[in-house]
Amino acid sequence: MRNLLLVARREYLEQIRGRAFRLSTIGLPSLFVIIVAIAYASSLGLGMHKHLVVASPNPVLAGQVRDQLLIGRRHDAAIAVVAPCPPEMRAALINEIRAKTIDGVLWIAAPADSKPIAAYISNSAGDFITASHLDNAVNNGLMEARLTGAGLDSAQAGAIVNGVSIETYQVRKNGTVVKSNAEASFWKGYAMAFLLSLTTMIYGMNVARSIIQEKTSRIFEVMLATVKPTEMLAGKLIGVGAVGLTQIAIWLAAAVAIVGSPFATAMLTGQFSLHFSWFEGLLFPVYFVLGYLLYSSLFAGLAATCETEQELQMYMPLAAAPTWLSFALIILIVNDSNSFWSVASSLFPPTAPICMFLRMASETPPAWQFAVSIALLIVSIWGTLWFSSRLYRIGILMYGKRATIPELFRWLRYS
Amino acid sequence: MPVVELVAVTKAYERKLAVDRLSLSIDAGQMFGLLGPNGAGKTSSIRMMMGITMPDSGQVKLFDKPFERRSLDRVGYLPEERGLYKKMKVLEQLIFLGQLHGLHAEEARKRSVDWSNRLEIADALDKKTEELSKGMQQKIQFIGSILHDPGLIVMDEPFSGLDPINAVLLERSLLELKDKGRAILFSTHRMDQVEKLCDSICLIHNGEAVLSGRMREIKNRYERDHVIVEFEGNPAFLTSDQVAEAKNFSGHAEIRLKPHGDAQKLLREASSVATIYRFELVEPSLEEIFIRTVGGEAYA
Repeated sequence: MRNLLLVARREYLEQIRGRAFRLSTIGLPSLFVIIVAIAYASSLGLGMHKHLVVASPNPVLAGQVRDQLLIGRRHDAAIAVVAPCPPEMRAALINEIRAKTIDGVLWIAAPADSKPIAAYISNSAGDFITASHLDNAVNNGLMEARLTGAGLDSAQAGAIVNGVSIETYQVRKNGTVVKSNAEASFWKGYAMAFLLSLTTMIYGMNVARSIIQEKTSRIFEVMLATVKPTEMLAGKLIGVGAVGLTQIAIWLAAAVAIVGSPFATAMLTGQFSLHFSWFEGLLFPVYFVLGYLLYSSLFAGLAATCETEQELQMYMPLAAAPTWLSFALIILIVNDSNSFWSVASSLFPPTAPICMFLRMASETPPAWQFAVSIALLIVSIWGTLWFSSRLYRIGILMYGKRATIPELFRWLRYS
Repeated sequence: MPVVELVAVTKAYERKLAVDRLSLSIDAGQMFGLLGPNGAGKTSSIRMMMGITMPDSGQVKLFDKPFERRSLDRVGYLPEERGLYKKMKVLEQLIFLGQLHGLHAEEARKRSVDWSNRLEIADALDKKTEELSKGMQQKIQFIGSILHDPGLIVMDEPFSGLDPINAVLLERSLLELKDKGRAILFSTHRMDQVEKLCDSICLIHNGEAVLSGRMREIKNRYERDHVIVEFEGNPAFLTSDQVAEAKNFSGHAEIRLKPHGDAQKLLREASSVATIYRFELVEPSLEEIFIRTVGGEAYA
């Protein structure tokens, strides 16, 4: 036990003194905030700054469609109306698109009182975001034109078409009702799942890298004269895991300080309101530790069979597949956090840490599901450690060539 | 009381028999050479002594007790595959290794500084290992293996990579430790050092002990059928009927006589064609014994 703690302490101090720790502690959250901010900001402006032409034989309909397109649009938006527009002008407008003087033409070919045919012509085949904006605008504009045609004045028609915005509230487990923001909740869940997957993978990889470095530097034989392989492995997992927990503690402390600041209070109580609970704060390190132990013990076994980091990279897609799967399920989980696949993915050990946090973005799952998910993770960690420690015990003394699959099976049998 | 004892120890890896019923014993205050060609089973035997691998059959005893990991606190080990943590500072690394062997940090620091002064490497204590030359790293590893003043010191090729000055420093340190009653086992290919330093040897080949015992007793088993000649003049006597094999190194010749070859006759023949400065009838060197025992091909 004493040697285990000495190994853990050495690992902890070596990593925490390293430049990589300082950079990732500050850099990772900053990078994440920048990425999310860029993604959010760009999504606000997508399809909103193009130079479009609305062309129709019906000037009233064209004007109303333009008015719809201008709702929420930035000041640099340019939407021209060509109406009444004869069919021969279509070729001239297409030439303007080719010459890039305009980005696209919305061609509405029928009068408002019969079934219209609308077409969007542009250089970009995959511009579905603009097409979606146009779809709403044409339908709303058409409805407004029909309402005014039926005798309503334009203010009445506009009020009917534009409708109202809906505020969302969430009923908590304790019965309280709090104002919620679906978008903000999604981003919160996404951020926590992202950080969790990132830290789990990074520290799992750190364990693997540390084993490869020890193998390359041939220190193992010196160490094994005093420390058992299992103590070496356990000390390494504890030491590197403690570095990860230290980093998370720093992030949580920084988050608490930032959330408690007047600036954040003003920001987070507005449209983009967020609610962080102590429960989430507690679960994050718990799932980090469990996820980290699962992945790092797997990586440790694989690393012991490799000679270089390049060889280890071959296994990475296999090991990272559950993380990709978790993020592939994101839409499913956010849409229905209690569906069979959402619950199953949050109980399945390799995807549990990430999927559970994605589910929590929508609503807190029942307590028994947390208990089952944690219990399954613990059993999986035990199984992975059993497997990896056998590979580790033999692999760390094997130099010169990468083990073949039959050799790996023999190692499992011998140890 | 033997400090380490192997009793009919056998170890096989898949179909390869690495060590075959090997027995040896080393007492306190003894310097023991474990010899053998590459792949003979030396490292496998040492790994079993150190508990890194377990024998398939037979017994390993440390300090007169069946092997137990606790006993390793009294063993110092310098493996052939050497390594240090490259990013760690030398002093921190030595303290860490001392602590693993049960020393308190302060005591480990004191001993590290003391040994570094003796091995003339004190300047390196504040440096990172990766900044040191290979020879310096080797001295640091030597210190790491004896810091806890072990009763048994096991060294696999301790002199490889050392220049002559540092090799002498290491030799002196080993002799000091031997004089203090520590048992020392070293495995090497350097026959001259074994001959100079070791009291006993065990030569293994294909996992089996083919020659073992005290150095003097082993040498006495062989006839004095070797002649060292230092001369100036015609080397024609090297092809005499008395000579089985001769190597001439520009005036320094090493000659093996034929069975029943007459050294006096050879001396007469030599002095008739050359000026003789030295003519000495000697027992075969350890290297010669080694080659005769395991065959030249295996050693090559």
